[in-house]
Amino acid sequence: MELTTDFLRALARIVGPRGVISSPEGRLTYEADMHTFYRGAPDAVVLPETAEQVLEVVRLCRRERVPVVPRGSGTGLIGGATAPVGGVMVSMNRMDRILELDFANRCATVQPGLINLWLSNATRPHGYYFAPDPSSQMVSSIGGNASTNAGGPHCLKYGITVNHVLGLQVVTGAAELLWLGGKAQERPGYDLRGVAVGGEGTLGLVTAVTVRLLHVPEGVKTALASFPSIEAASETVSAIIGAGIIPSALEMLDQAMVRAIEAGIGAGYPQGAAAVLLIELDGPAAEIEAQSRRIEEICRRRGALEIRVARDEAERALLWKGRKEAAGVIGRMTPNWLLQDAVVPRSKLPQIMSEMLAISARHGLLIANVFHAGDGNLHPIICYDDRVPGQLERAKQVNEDLLRACLALGGTVTGEHGVGLDKVGNMPLQFGAADLNFMARLRRVFDPDTIMNPGKLLPDHPACGEGFRPGPARLPTGAWV
Amino acid sequence: MAVSSPALFGALSDIVGSSQILTDRAALAGAALDGIEPRWIVRPRGLEDVSRVLALAAAEGLVVAPRGAGSRAGFGNPPRRLDLVLDLSRLDAVIEYVPEDMVATVQAGITLGALAERLGEKGQMLALDPHGGRARTVGGVLATNSSGPLRFRYGTGRDLLLGVRFVQADGTVTWGGSKVVKSVSGYDVPKLMVGALGTLGVIVEATLRLHPAPAASGSSLVRVESPSAVQDVLAAVLDSPLEPDRIALFNSAAARRLPGSASGPALLVSFGSVEEAVKSQAESLARLAAGHGGRAQPAPGSVWDRLEEHEAGPEPIRLILGCEIRRLGHWLGELERLAAAVGAPVSVVGEAGNGVLRASLAAGGDGRALVRELILPLRSGLESEGGSLVVETMPARLKAECDAWGAIAPGALAIMRRIKQEFDPRGVLNPGRFVGGL
Repeated sequence: MELTTDFLRALARIVGPRGVISSPEGRLTYEADMHTFYRGAPDAVVLPETAEQVLEVVRLCRRERVPVVPRGSGTGLIGGATAPVGGVMVSMNRMDRILELDFANRCATVQPGLINLWLSNATRPHGYYFAPDPSSQMVSSIGGNASTNAGGPHCLKYGITVNHVLGLQVVTGAAELLWLGGKAQERPGYDLRGVAVGGEGTLGLVTAVTVRLLHVPEGVKTALASFPSIEAASETVSAIIGAGIIPSALEMLDQAMVRAIEAGIGAGYPQGAAAVLLIELDGPAAEIEAQSRRIEEICRRRGALEIRVARDEAERALLWKGRKEAAGVIGRMTPNWLLQDAVVPRSKLPQIMSEMLAISARHGLLIANVFHAGDGNLHPIICYDDRVPGQLERAKQVNEDLLRACLALGGTVTGEHGVGLDKVGNMPLQFGAADLNFMARLRRVFDPDTIMNPGKLLPDHPACGEGFRPGPARLPTGAWV
Repeated sequence: MAVSSPALFGALSDIVGSSQILTDRAALAGAALDGIEPRWIVRPRGLEDVSRVLALAAAEGLVVAPRGAGSRAGFGNPPRRLDLVLDLSRLDAVIEYVPEDMVATVQAGITLGALAERLGEKGQMLALDPHGGRARTVGGVLATNSSGPLRFRYGTGRDLLLGVRFVQADGTVTWGGSKVVKSVSGYDVPKLMVGALGTLGVIVEATLRLHPAPAASGSSLVRVESPSAVQDVLAAVLDSPLEPDRIALFNSAAARRLPGSASGPALLVSFGSVEEAVKSQAESLARLAAGHGGRAQPAPGSVWDRLEEHEAGPEPIRLILGCEIRRLGHWLGELERLAAAVGAPVSVVGEAGNGVLRASLAAGGDGRALVRELILPLRSGLESEGGSLVVETMPARLKAECDAWGAIAPGALAIMRRIKQEFDPRGVLNPGRFVGGL
């Protein structure tokens, strides 16, 4: 899509000349997020500094029917922050301030571009932190976390981002600037806040977020348990949850992943084991003591080779370092990879892990695993080599087989990464036509002209049935699905 | 009306059988909403019946009000019209319960009490404890977004409803969400349905996140001198590493029903954990309270089952005040001041850690003074700082004086209107009862 000089001038009037990037090389920087192969450079990038500027940008784009794509830090894994049909990308990097810390109400209000970890860094000295902790938390933005409803290891106990968003200020696709929700928790009316979180920019752009802050717990205990087999580790996970214990995090890493981490950064993980569990408890000290004894007993009964408890904060940080930086060491295992994010009911973990081995063997591709075992959220890393003809196709087939296996067990397409471009084609596997139709109509309520992040989240097909209105002709609907 | 009443009865009978359509006077009077009686009470057997009844209603221009246990029949504004009450109490099955997943899928008409019994056998629970809850249905509790003290630790129905099967106003059966504890596949439709008062669809099945029932539980009653002292103790508890699962606030009148003889307001705090942690946290709480002018004493766990026992008299008025947590003491004080000025005794039990106060009063006399001199000024003050005052129960005759919900911010209300218009343009489901007359 070619933007006219007039249009670019109008953008510059809103955000200032230094707030618009329209050079080819400048735009190229914004053509991808962290997904392996989705590409799509916007026709212009704007860097607003206020919510009012965002509103003006959307108003202009709506008038001219130009697609709008939001972007936080670009760490998404689903191609959500790419512009496959061009348009204007709204980068939130300059809106990165903490607007208010309100400890008496246990909340903070921040601009969308604020880095996740910066908030906890600012609040920890006061005894508080922001619970959602995607592995990208050192670089990902809170607006992006809210927009994709991001997860992280500690979701197991504390829930995903939506459970921590009290309110958010948005600019809808209908060019309305408003707050949904807020500091008062009890509110009459439809839960528009709950709908907007996880909207992936298809309903509107997030311009501020009021998030819940949690008090730092009295104690934390982190342990690493290694197992001779994936099955033993999976059964341990089910047994811990089955015993009525919800650790704050319960992560699994398989042998391939452990080896890559040790070769890459050296976190001290036991390399000989077939699977490693990273288990963290937090809360009242007495509770941690009792529960950790119980967990140790469960691990031993399931044949744990070794149980190692972090003795101090430095050891704890090291145990987590391997997990948090897992994505960075994958390159040591494989030139290319696909990442799956499906979820199975937690009792089905042993079953899906053995099916995964079969799928891996059938297609002759390595699948490495590092994932949120406690809530059944898988992250199989499907390794392939782009240079070998046919491997990409096989990797895609593995991806599809895995997804179908998870859904057959009662699972879901995506646990925390989101749908974006990557899983838009999978949505009909999980939802029927009426279900997709309901969501599509909800989308049009917020975005009547279908300009917001087009092509993402929902399959843009007339197959969705009655009530689905096709988008404007200049968007090549269906082309990117 | 396109079709005559007998013909409609016939059409409804074809769906549910004539024995499942109630038309006798007493039943219809009992199902009235704010004095407006339906023409029929229809008792579907399952999902398909609900779908067919709604499709018929939509085609024939009938107005439908879904009903669970009927305990919140007077919630919201009076309906613009009412033809058919859809009684979901026969849909009371547990469809799927896998304890290892800590997830259960149930039909909407099952009561919280019946579900609690099933889950209790496995040491699990649905962490929703609205006042009077055991007799209420899952569907009704979700549609009204009712919650109780456990929301401090576990959230509300919006945090616990993972997936939902509902029937849209035109009879379309629709599924939203997932059956696993973690999912971001598409929009969070379950959240939209919670608290929508059945105005977007009738909840027929709910997939719920469960929690392990704590191994041990202990409660402490903290007595203080004044509403502002309540705020001080509350702030100290919240600003500590203590992890209560419930924090309830009682004003002086409500606190008189609690164990012990002291006067003044009180906080009731419970801890659910392993025994050692329950004990150590109760001790920490006692020290903390003493440092802020409060006196803590152990309380029996049974106190929590009696929260709803504040009958206010023949014409009860129940209000739900929502405010910022740090303003709770202020609004409690305001409420008591205004109540004293109109001479109306008020009993307050609130979810202190969530900024919620539940007030019980009696209409007394014609009740209009109470609306004009207490409810409306209090609401206007709360709304001016982002809070709300919702009327949960009120004699129908007073509803003309007082919207049940209060004002919604215009921008958000505009979107809510568009949603209602999109999914129920003809106003089949509970028209007029929800916010903004939706």
